[in-house]
Amino acid sequence: MADRSFEVARLPGFRSIALTAFVLLYLPIITLVVYSFNAGQSVAVWEGFSLDWYTTAWENEAVKGATYRSLLIAASASAIATTVATMAALGTTRRKAFKGQTFIYVMINQPLMVPEIVTAVALLIFFASIKVATGYNGLIYLIIAHAAFCIPFAYLPIRARLEGMDLTLETAAADLYASHWQAFRFVTLPLMLPGIIAGAMLAFVISLDDVVITEFVKSGGQDTLPTYMLGQMRRAITPEVNAISTVLLALTVLLLTAFFLLTRKKD
Amino acid sequence: MKKIVTATALLLASTALAAAEGELQLYNWGNYTSPDLLKKFEEETGIKVVVTDYDSNTAALAKVEAGGSGFDLVVPSANYIPIWIEKGLVQKLDDSKLANKGNIAPEWVNVPWDEGRQYSVPWQWGSVGVAVNTSVYKGDINTSDIFLRVPEELKGKINVVPEMTDVLNMAIFNVGGEPCTEDTEVLKKVRDLVVAAKADWLAMDYGATEKLSNNDWAASVNWNGSTMRARLANPDVAFGYPREGYPLFMDSVALLSDAKNVDNAYKFIDFIMLPENAAMISAFARYANGIAGSAEFMPEDMKTAPEVVTPEEHAKAGRFLPTCSQKSQEYLTAIWTELQK
Repeated sequence: MADRSFEVARLPGFRSIALTAFVLLYLPIITLVVYSFNAGQSVAVWEGFSLDWYTTAWENEAVKGATYRSLLIAASASAIATTVATMAALGTTRRKAFKGQTFIYVMINQPLMVPEIVTAVALLIFFASIKVATGYNGLIYLIIAHAAFCIPFAYLPIRARLEGMDLTLETAAADLYASHWQAFRFVTLPLMLPGIIAGAMLAFVISLDDVVITEFVKSGGQDTLPTYMLGQMRRAITPEVNAISTVLLALTVLLLTAFFLLTRKKD
Repeated sequence: MKKIVTATALLLASTALAAAEGELQLYNWGNYTSPDLLKKFEEETGIKVVVTDYDSNTAALAKVEAGGSGFDLVVPSANYIPIWIEKGLVQKLDDSKLANKGNIAPEWVNVPWDEGRQYSVPWQWGSVGVAVNTSVYKGDINTSDIFLRVPEELKGKINVVPEMTDVLNMAIFNVGGEPCTEDTEVLKKVRDLVVAAKADWLAMDYGATEKLSNNDWAASVNWNGSTMRARLANPDVAFGYPREGYPLFMDSVALLSDAKNVDNAYKFIDFIMLPENAAMISAFARYANGIAGSAEFMPEDMKTAPEVVTPEEHAKAGRFLPTCSQKSQEYLTAIWTELQK
């Protein structure tokens, strides 16, 4: 037996390094949130508490449009990505290991490995030729692009869930005279559901955050919240950006908490 | 799934409608377009302006060059306009549709990047100078020596914005050279000057508005509009126009060659050349605009702002930087790289 008293967490310096890491991670975020309540124009000089910047952001038509667009794109893209990812996960796990399996994993997870800027430029050129040929400029390009890079984020939790489920489950259902569809509907699907929900939420958050690909693919009047905020950089940044970020942060934390609770439940 | 189909159908329908009539696609720097200006334009003409943001000249150029962007108007910086013209991405303006073109202030008509304003009209312009906290340093601030031969009081307290072209050309002006020079004697002096001066710099960073406001930095190479905002927060901050020469910048509106709403675009270009409308642009983004007579429509705090209204004696030291030759770019980049070490 190994020495039971050994734990990584007890190594010298572990605690101080962990604390420093947490401070570095969270201090900037806390500063950002605090200054969103600043009464003054500045994101660095505190001039008293106020909710003015939340009101300003709320009344800003450009912010409202961008928020709506961000949510619409994230919802559509994560729905598509999750559907595709679920099918892909079923296809790659509910069977015996097969030749070329690793290759297929790599293909599915390609957006995780290819630098985002490469995908962005490729999509810019590809979509531009379609836009020229069809004259159509709708949001659909952004939705397709987002769905594409969201697939691995939805795929990984679903696959992890499915790999934890015994292959004999469906066989048992079949033994009890369940049809293929019934076995899927009443055995496989309910068991994999937490994975699907987790995957969908991850995909949603990833789509909500995306800057690089969106910046390259967007057409006229298609700024999302992140690209809108990036656009503020050249001029003065006001606490309005902090206020928008705080709301975005709250939304992300909410989704991630739900993700955590859902994945924790049955393990 | 049904919902997605419906949503998609709605999207298709809405964009199809939007492309129909009464629309204008403006591709501009982020947070640079006054919403009041767009509202007024829509009330007068019924044309709805859709604004899309970019954050760099290169990104905007790349996107439009790829084709099918769907934008009508774009607002590139001065040294980028020749590139847009050369690539055939913008079209020559038909002056017969621009009754207000005579309002462009005379000094902004024959500009080096667009002689006679055949392709572009002014949006906003500004200058790069030195912002100094006058409670820390009481001497003469209208000189680039502030950051190139740093006075004792400012040593270790001054920032230089990491804008290669602006900073190095100010140094070239300081030693008496021409912008984008290829003269190695001059460039050697410039190199020695900036490398020696760097020892006295605190940082090379953006964010001067904030850092000057809260006294983190006592001085910075900075833009005039940003310095004005810093002064409003911290009255000790003042803007110096280096007499040895300082760079000017201007963003101008140009009509894209593949614009779909050409008539609406002309209406908008003509609209922003009326002094009261140009003043709205300035009131929002806090830079001057290049339209004669617009000053009287500007907010009170801008009419008198020494950062916006360039004092007569400093005006002639302001210079537009040409698009540097490949060779001079290489020299400047080499110096800059050494400076970053």
